[in-house]
Amino acid sequence: MILRGIAGLIATLVLWTAIVYLFDVPAFLLPGPVEVFNRIVFLFENAKLTRHIWVTLSEIVAGFVFGTAAGIFAGVVFARFPRAERFATPLILLLQTAPKIAIAPLLLLWLGIGPTPKIVLIAIVTFFPVMSGMVTGLRYGEGSFRDLATVLKLSPWQRFRHIELPSALPSVLAGMAVATTLAMTAAVIGELIGANEGLGYLLSSGQENSDTSVVIGMVILLSLIGWAFYEVIELIRRRSLGRFQLS
Amino acid sequence: MSQSERMIDIAGVHKTFVADHGTVTALEPVTITIKQGEFISIVGPSGCGKSTLLRLISGLDHASGGTITLDTAGRKRPVGFVFQEPVLLPWKTILENVRFPLDTAGVSRAEADKVALDLIKMVGLVGFEKALPRQLSGGMRQRAAIARSLSDDPPILLMDEPFSAVDLMTRDTLNDELLRIWQSTGKTILLVTHSVDEAAYLADRVMVMTARPGKLKCVHDVDLSRPRGEDTKLDPAYHALVAQLRRDLRTPGVVHGERAH
Ligand SMILES: Nc1ncnc2c1ncn2[C@@H]1O[C@H](COP(=O)(O)OP(=O)(O)OP(=O)(O)O)[C@@H](O)[C@H]1O
Ligand SMILES: [Mg+2]
Repeated sequence: MILRGIAGLIATLVLWTAIVYLFDVPAFLLPGPVEVFNRIVFLFENAKLTRHIWVTLSEIVAGFVFGTAAGIFAGVVFARFPRAERFATPLILLLQTAPKIAIAPLLLLWLGIGPTPKIVLIAIVTFFPVMSGMVTGLRYGEGSFRDLATVLKLSPWQRFRHIELPSALPSVLAGMAVATTLAMTAAVIGELIGANEGLGYLLSSGQENSDTSVVIGMVILLSLIGWAFYEVIELIRRRSLGRFQLS
Repeated sequence: MSQSERMIDIAGVHKTFVADHGTVTALEPVTITIKQGEFISIVGPSGCGKSTLLRLISGLDHASGGTITLDTAGRKRPVGFVFQEPVLLPWKTILENVRFPLDTAGVSRAEADKVALDLIKMVGLVGFEKALPRQLSGGMRQRAAIARSLSDDPPILLMDEPFSAVDLMTRDTLNDELLRIWQSTGKTILLVTHSVDEAAYLADRVMVMTARPGKLKCVHDVDLSRPRGEDTKLDPAYHALVAQLRRDLRTPGVVHGERAH
């Protein structure tokens, strides 16, 4: 799996270099991999690239954590009180179907240019798949567990901790895996629209300066981060199946 | 019978389920008073409302009419329930599953472990404490479920075919263990079984139920001396009762062609 990924990566680099040299593409359109690599190293040394990566990463992690927590909480509430779900569904659907790129300026207007609007945007996009994963997990969770909880007179918290969360865990993690891609997109959108830090900010300033190397470099960095992020959640999800999947 | 002796008072309790295509009478009105410390067996063909009756007593379902009174004032968990399926939490080990009622009642870990390990030993699952339920056979899972139901020592124990997935040898051992626990704790036990031998061997009284609609046909007193053991199985009175129960279940016109499996 990983080996094949690396092989694909090398093939892409070779193809990329070949195109640049064979067709003699001007550097402002498509710089070669070496050039892009040098540019990234330059950014590390001179433009606090580490700091920008850190800003974007921390926004993603914070937004993802908030979104996941809210999604799990809402899932439990909706599964327990179907009326709450009927009440909240139109609002959630509206938020969900509105293009994120349209919400972003609004959030920036309300919350300023710092990390907060990005975190909120990431949380919003993370919320939905996690919430539906939780609701699905609880719906299909065995009714007999509910009987056990009733006989043992478990408190709502005990029910959640010992029965609901574990039985919904596989579908919650599946929702989280989907949310990683959405969270990456949301982070970049937020930073593109208004920021003075972060990878999205570097991306847009690269574009303004017609610095193709920077733009391509940022695209590559963001892809790598998104890929690693997804793989981490996937790994946790697969690991959990042995124990948590209902037979 | 004095007031304090009545543990479970069932008065005219019936249950009708509303299904897509009309209603199903799961249980016609049942009236019976169960004394404290009594051991009751319930036999009857599939679909006669045995599980329904236990679910009503435990409060898992609500009766369509009639009243059920439990004399368990002050107990947070009046009933323990061994379900027809083991219902073990797949993400917890056998030890954690057996300990679950204690853990969720705030009993200290050391004390809970002691009780749980004793019960695991009793049901013959030593060596599987750290195993997950999926690694156990059906009968072993059911034994773990029995251990769990006993761990927090409920005054009333409702058992829905607890030994149906257990082999005959183990079943005999578990029957005797159950009698021993019952005698030393004074629990009130209601046990559903498809085995008339088991029903007669264990109980003070046997409730015979019939299907379509589910109803209580009759109640037999079991006049066999305690403690019961291998001698009981040789007692002519025991055989007479078993034969009587078989006849009850077979009587044509009452049991419509459906027999216990
Ligand atoms: N939730 C339900 N909804 C509709 N009908 C039900 C429901 N539960 C039970 N019934 C019906 O009630 C009747 C009695 O069911 P019950 O489960 O009590 O039978 P049982 O005596 O336990 O049978 P078995 O020996 O097969 O376990 C059956 O006809 C069944 O179809
Ligand atoms: Mg049943």
